[in-house]
Amino acid sequence: MDDAKPIPHYIGTPIITMKGISRRFGHTLALDNVSLDVRRGEVLMIVGPSGSGKSTLLRCINYLELPDAGMVEIDGVVLSRHGVDLNRIREHVGMVFQRFELFPHLTVIQNIMLAQRIVAKRSPQASEQIARDLLAKVGIGEKADSYPVQLSGGQQQRVAIARSLAMQPKVMLFDEPTSALDPEMIKEVLDVMLDLAREGMTMVIVSHEMGFARAAANRVVFMDQGRIVEMGAPEQVFDNPHHDRTRLFLSKVLQH
Amino acid sequence: MGEVSSSSEINQTAHRPLERTSLRQAPWWLIILGIGIVFVLLAMMRNEDYAKTLGYVLGGVGLSVVITVVAYVAALIIGLIAGLGRVSANPIAYHVATLYVEVMRGLPMLVIILYTQFVIAPMIGAQRNPALSGILALALGYGAYLAEVYRAGIESIERGQAEAARSLGMSAGQTMRHIILPQALRRVLPPLGNDFIAMLKDSSLLSAIGVNELTQLARIEGSRTFDYFRAFNSAAILYLILTLLLSLGVRLLERRTSSGRR
Repeated sequence: MDDAKPIPHYIGTPIITMKGISRRFGHTLALDNVSLDVRRGEVLMIVGPSGSGKSTLLRCINYLELPDAGMVEIDGVVLSRHGVDLNRIREHVGMVFQRFELFPHLTVIQNIMLAQRIVAKRSPQASEQIARDLLAKVGIGEKADSYPVQLSGGQQQRVAIARSLAMQPKVMLFDEPTSALDPEMIKEVLDVMLDLAREGMTMVIVSHEMGFARAAANRVVFMDQGRIVEMGAPEQVFDNPHHDRTRLFLSKVLQH
Repeated sequence: MGEVSSSSEINQTAHRPLERTSLRQAPWWLIILGIGIVFVLLAMMRNEDYAKTLGYVLGGVGLSVVITVVAYVAALIIGLIAGLGRVSANPIAYHVATLYVEVMRGLPMLVIILYTQFVIAPMIGAQRNPALSGILALALGYGAYLAEVYRAGIESIERGQAEAARSLGMSAGQTMRHIILPQALRRVLPPLGNDFIAMLKDSSLLSAIGVNELTQLARIEGSRTFDYFRAFNSAAILYLILTLLLSLGVRLLERRTSSGRR
């Protein structure tokens, strides 16, 4: 909405606006009055120690997690406004999970077709064509009729990305997309994400893949204890952090 | 050696002779019981009186099976509705379903049957057909048990599945129908099968309201001939044959669902 905060960098107007988001789990404050804009075409990475609230923040964007306070606006629609159909919002906000969450009782192609059929109401032919094109795009066209258990983790995650892309999302959210993967499979998933970024997809990514951040991210947000500590270009946050907490965190992550 | 798990087939074939494990896994108790039943049946047939008694009691098997199948199908539907109510976010659906489940589970099956035949049926003028009352009673009683089976199955599906479905824009109902239920049903097939067997046995309670099913015919035959030994032996062996066949079916189901994908 308003551009009070000086973020001179990037590309378009804000597509996601979060203002004063708070979320409490029992006695712990997972998110403490967080405000954040994501711009069209931007790749935003959220990093931070575990328990810093980064996943919760991501899940608040599509209201998978309901904030206790604050406002989320996606493409001009305030999610908490009365009468807003959250299903229509979520349809166009793709989400990729740490544990893939493919539907185990459906084949790969059925996984990608189901929501196209029953949510977007596309014809079987159109859904299948889109699904096959996307499978080819993520490099596993030959696995269309396999079941998820028959795929490696990296392949499953690429199917999950294709499944989200089939809904033609305006934004893609990634919740630690590579942290459940064996090291040799991380690259194949990151390559798909890199392609997406180059195509101009708006992406919000919770991840510690520093290499990916340097290669693709426009902005990095460092969170700790439910707050945004620091935000800026990857080079600035990683190489020249302003805050001690950021520096401490980075020293721990980069040692490994 | 005994802790070889049945799922690691590859290891088994690699490290030990196949016959050994398949011998170990064979249901010996079932084979012995089956042979015993065949011998007893043969002995009964050779005795003319026994054969007559068995033949008479056998006439009740059809009704027992029909009643059980009809009541079970009804219970599957009632149970699904009540089970969905038990996991519903809607407080009215939840409390109505919970009330139904708790009341039915708190009553003895026999009391439900007697109540249906002697209280509910007269109110709607249907006491002339005790079999119908019996089917209604069994369906209502077992609907509550099956509701809990469904609920457990639904709650066993990982939360991430629903989240993935919702994040694709599916409604809560679509998520339940296309994502949760198909997986949950696969998981609860064995317990559902066990409840079918339990219901077949409980259908014998309908003898208390004069339904001419298997147990009732055995009672009639026993009081007619004063030979309860033969009459109830006949009933017992017929029930055993039915339940053993069914439990064999459930075991096959179990094996298939546990070896299948999730």
